[in-house]
Amino acid sequence: MKCEQIAELLPDYLEGSLAPDQLRDVEAHLEQCADCSEEVALWKKLSLLPVEQPSTASRVRFEAMLQAYQAGRSNQPAGNPEWKKRASTASVFHWLRSPLGAAAWSAALLAIGIFTGLRLAGPKPPSPDMAAIQSELTNMKQLVVLSMLQQQSASARLEGVTWSTRDQHLDPQVLSALLHTLRYDPSVDVRLAALDALSRHSAQPQVRSSVVNALQEQQSPLVQVALIDQLVEWHDREAKPHLEKLRQSPDLNPTVRQRADWAIGKLN
Amino acid sequence: MTFAPDEDVMLQVRDGAGEMLGVLFDRYQTPLFNFYSKLTGDRTLSEDLVQEVFLRILKYRQSYRPGTPFRAWIYQIARNARIDHFRKFPRERVFEPEMLPPVIPADSAQEQQEVELLQRALALLPEDKREILLLCRFQELKYEEIAELLGCQLNTVRTRIHRALQELRKSFHQLTQGTALKRANSAAPGNIPPRGGCREV
Repeated sequence: MKCEQIAELLPDYLEGSLAPDQLRDVEAHLEQCADCSEEVALWKKLSLLPVEQPSTASRVRFEAMLQAYQAGRSNQPAGNPEWKKRASTASVFHWLRSPLGAAAWSAALLAIGIFTGLRLAGPKPPSPDMAAIQSELTNMKQLVVLSMLQQQSASARLEGVTWSTRDQHLDPQVLSALLHTLRYDPSVDVRLAALDALSRHSAQPQVRSSVVNALQEQQSPLVQVALIDQLVEWHDREAKPHLEKLRQSPDLNPTVRQRADWAIGKLN
Repeated sequence: MTFAPDEDVMLQVRDGAGEMLGVLFDRYQTPLFNFYSKLTGDRTLSEDLVQEVFLRILKYRQSYRPGTPFRAWIYQIARNARIDHFRKFPRERVFEPEMLPPVIPADSAQEQQEVELLQRALALLPEDKREILLLCRFQELKYEEIAELLGCQLNTVRTRIHRALQELRKSFHQLTQGTALKRANSAAPGNIPPRGGCREV
């Protein structure tokens, strides 16, 4: 057997998943071929590479992050504890049956109907119609996002935020809904996801100013830390006075204060 | 409880038992740290990325579906975290072999030297080749899992592993020849060690 033929079998040989006859062929080849047998030897030696240990501070940092997260969650307003239970397929049906959900999927069916109709009517539909359909589909997607962001169940809202990131371009209405979510959503998860989605659109001036403003309003340490990190990532020097103000708040979580100090240093 | 499969622990985390994430952190922080440090050569960054992975797990825990192999899921997050990081902060320095950790003395001096050279050879590979070798050899992911992770066919994974190994052999050779030359300069001509290639497997 030649090296090229062995090359196809070698990865499976290394994984130990060759059939007995193939195994015999490969082993016979390896006895004669220095290059291939060296590759196998190197593969085996890779397991001898030293395992590095992360520093002990790593565990401490993780604990602090987890604590901040748990604290943030227990600060959530009451009346929402059952949102987790809703995170099931049932909630999707529930949503589809709600008036907004119904509007969204009727629009979806209508758009699909028009689309299929045009497709069937002629092999090459004129492009203006296609453009109209395209924009209708985009509008529909926005409608879905907007209605999902208003759902009772946190997981549906989370899904809405995720949907909003599917489009490169953000519709102004969706943008303002996301900004609203960032500031007022009762769930920490949803606020964090909204920040994540918004961070892609830092070119929009409202996005940056909203993140700065949210800094003063947010109570959850986890969201505060995420906001601070975002500002550092943008190198937003204008945020510095706001960070100074934040770190002087009397009952600020120590981790957040530390993070703010770090950020002020970074922005200098 | 400690021996519960990763998937069961993750489902508990998803359903609100955030403190159970500590179990997964203990299981995965060292492998993930090594994945990053061997890929980037930067310890501090690797620790930051490990933290980022666990923060993302908390943030997106609702998206974990029962039946998803946890290992593949966490490595997906880990890869994305690294990609996002370098997208936001284009790298200032490349992997320098000088940043490699010391090799713990092995059974013999020769073996120790070989492992050191192997580590350098690995650091010289292009990042995608280094990554695939780390994923299958060091992180012990199955080929199917890697195919899903990289979004390619199973056969492509096999080909890529083989190409990476070929390149590893070449750069290992260059290094062994370099060391052999150095030794030849400092030792008697008769003491030049044989070329590293043709050993028995």
